[in-house]
Amino acid sequence: MFTKYGVPVIAGFLLTFAIVSMVRMRPVQAKAEPPVSPPVALYANQVGAVGLVEARTENIQVSLPVPGLVTKVAVAAGDNVHKGQVLLVLDDRDLRAELTLRQAAVAVSRARLEKLRNSPRPEDLPPAEAKVHEAEQVLADTEVQLRLIEGVKDKRAIREEDLQRRRLAVKAQQARLEEARANLKLLKAGTWAPDLRVAEAELAQAEQQVKRIQTDVERLTVTSPIDGQILQCKVHVGEYAQAGQLQVPLMVIGAVDTLHVRADIDEEDAWRVRAGAAAQASIRGNGSVKYPLHFVRFEPYVVPKKNLTGDSTERVDTRVLQAIYAFDKGVPLHVGQQMDVSIEASTQTGGGK
Amino acid sequence: MNFVAFQMLTGDKAKYFGLIFAIAFSTFLMSHQVSIFTGLMNRTQSQILDIKDADVWVMDRYTQYLDEVKSLTDQDLYRVRGVNGVQWAVPLFKGSTRAKARDGVFRAVILLGVDDASLTGVPRKMLLGTYNSLREPDAVIIDQVAFEFYFPNQAMRLGDTLEMNDHRVRVVGICDSAAPFQNFPVVYTRYSNALGYVGRERNLLSYVLVKPLPGVTGEEVATRIKAATGLEALTYEQFGWRTIWYYIGHTGIPINFGITVFIALIVGTVVAGQTFYIFTIENLKQFGALKAIGVTNWRITGMILLQAFVVGAIGYSIGIAMTAAFFETTKNVLDLRGFVLLGEIAGGTAVAVFLIVILASLLSIRRVLVLEPAVVFRG
Repeated sequence: MFTKYGVPVIAGFLLTFAIVSMVRMRPVQAKAEPPVSPPVALYANQVGAVGLVEARTENIQVSLPVPGLVTKVAVAAGDNVHKGQVLLVLDDRDLRAELTLRQAAVAVSRARLEKLRNSPRPEDLPPAEAKVHEAEQVLADTEVQLRLIEGVKDKRAIREEDLQRRRLAVKAQQARLEEARANLKLLKAGTWAPDLRVAEAELAQAEQQVKRIQTDVERLTVTSPIDGQILQCKVHVGEYAQAGQLQVPLMVIGAVDTLHVRADIDEEDAWRVRAGAAAQASIRGNGSVKYPLHFVRFEPYVVPKKNLTGDSTERVDTRVLQAIYAFDKGVPLHVGQQMDVSIEASTQTGGGK
Repeated sequence: MNFVAFQMLTGDKAKYFGLIFAIAFSTFLMSHQVSIFTGLMNRTQSQILDIKDADVWVMDRYTQYLDEVKSLTDQDLYRVRGVNGVQWAVPLFKGSTRAKARDGVFRAVILLGVDDASLTGVPRKMLLGTYNSLREPDAVIIDQVAFEFYFPNQAMRLGDTLEMNDHRVRVVGICDSAAPFQNFPVVYTRYSNALGYVGRERNLLSYVLVKPLPGVTGEEVATRIKAATGLEALTYEQFGWRTIWYYIGHTGIPINFGITVFIALIVGTVVAGQTFYIFTIENLKQFGALKAIGVTNWRITGMILLQAFVVGAIGYSIGIAMTAAFFETTKNVLDLRGFVLLGEIAGGTAVAVFLIVILASLLSIRRVLVLEPAVVFRG
């Protein structure tokens, strides 16, 4: 009985079990949507690019003309500044000291010039005039002495030697008078013109040195080159700031009234993009939010692509054409943010134009 | 007459059960071995099938299979995005690294880095936690194999830390992943984190995952990507098969299983055929008597075939149920997950069993057909 009917019935049950088990175990291959929509294609023909948000003026990295100790930081990140506003001040004590010294040198030069201009000193004239007068008197005396001896008729009464001595005395005294007169004239003539010019030049030089130090002092105060916003401020009071281009800039300034996005287009796709092509950007983390873009310009130079993943080492793998696009005013974006940019590509397949 | 045939069959219990079990074990051996083989091969494409969001995979032109990765350049992602018919394209990192637990236990793991923005490719079957937690810093999702390995015999929980390439990572989710070929633990993280976890590598971009626009098939968009970028683009089915064919072509696995299946086929045929032959020979007298009372050869052939089918059907049912029962009991064993009995295999085995019983009955039918009825009454 079992053999005849039981076995087929059991076999039937087993087969049913096997079929049910197979149906239940069968792996399901259900497709799913991504948790957050990735940036989707917006145009029938498009070029994808990674974009970095930047200021309208590009991001200006403030540099110093000279290195120095920071004594004052006048702004904070996020401040709006206008052109010429003081950003930070460096230590200027040594230059101030130098300035005082230079100013003293100017005073010295000026006094010396004044002195030269005002010579001769009035008090010097009377003694010189007196000298001339004295010489005249002495000359008159010697001439009288000569006349007296020449008036003697009898030449035997006088010695030839006396006569000659008195004649020479007159001549000598005449020479002394001339010397005294010349001295008086020299004194009256005052400073020689070339000496005056040398002194004037020395004064001008001293004044220029003062101006130079003043300029140096001014250079220690760094002002904003544009109207814009402080995007980053990495310098603090008491730090020693280096001059020139730094790896971490002291400050970053940019005009953010309109934001731009710099889209890196692979060189292989560059031919597909025309100037003025329509474009949209979507934000990372929410592909459904899209911002319209307005073409500004191409960067004329095709540059090696820098990886933007934030890794410190620069990894170059290709060259990219950079297209600058502008956002509408007031978009809630931040400078430095990464965007996915879709640019409408030209349908034209051949080159040539 | 069919009733007579059935009576003849069940009359000799020993041979009846002998036939059934020969068929049953032959069925079991064939279906079981083929199932293990397909399961093993299917494991090689587990990570492809686990990514449910994308239809097309873009990779280097010379990629042979999933685990052999040559990174693309970062810009390739944007080039793929520029191809017509692409709805979206996202990066995927696939690599392997070592993960160490606090007590020093370490193991090589498969690391998958999914797109930061969209989390495309995250596991959907979460056993604990949500995949959105992956957005947290240093977050990873591990699969149940990893949890079982690093924290054996403990209840599933979140918040444990592991160390990968000197980085501390925090478990924010436990997922159910399809078993990889070597059954390595699978760890998911964000694309941007992946670089830190694998150490210095120049490029991260292992694959680009692409979804075609509605109305465009995966094959079409793959062809366009290939033409436009010079990269290899395959639908996930194509890539899965490429990976499977790599393993079939470059390992001894198919030969091993092929031989086992072939032997099962031979043994099933020989044992069933021989038993059936002896059974028929022993019943020659009855067949002779039937012939003598005027039953035609066709009728007798029909009877023998009926006997063969009954034995075949019962044996097959028992055998296939044994296979199903085997996989039912192993389906919750972590290391054996992914091995299942597929309907296709059951169907194929049924065809093979059908051939066995046909072959076995053919041997004996010949003797009955040439039988002289008079011979029966001689002795």
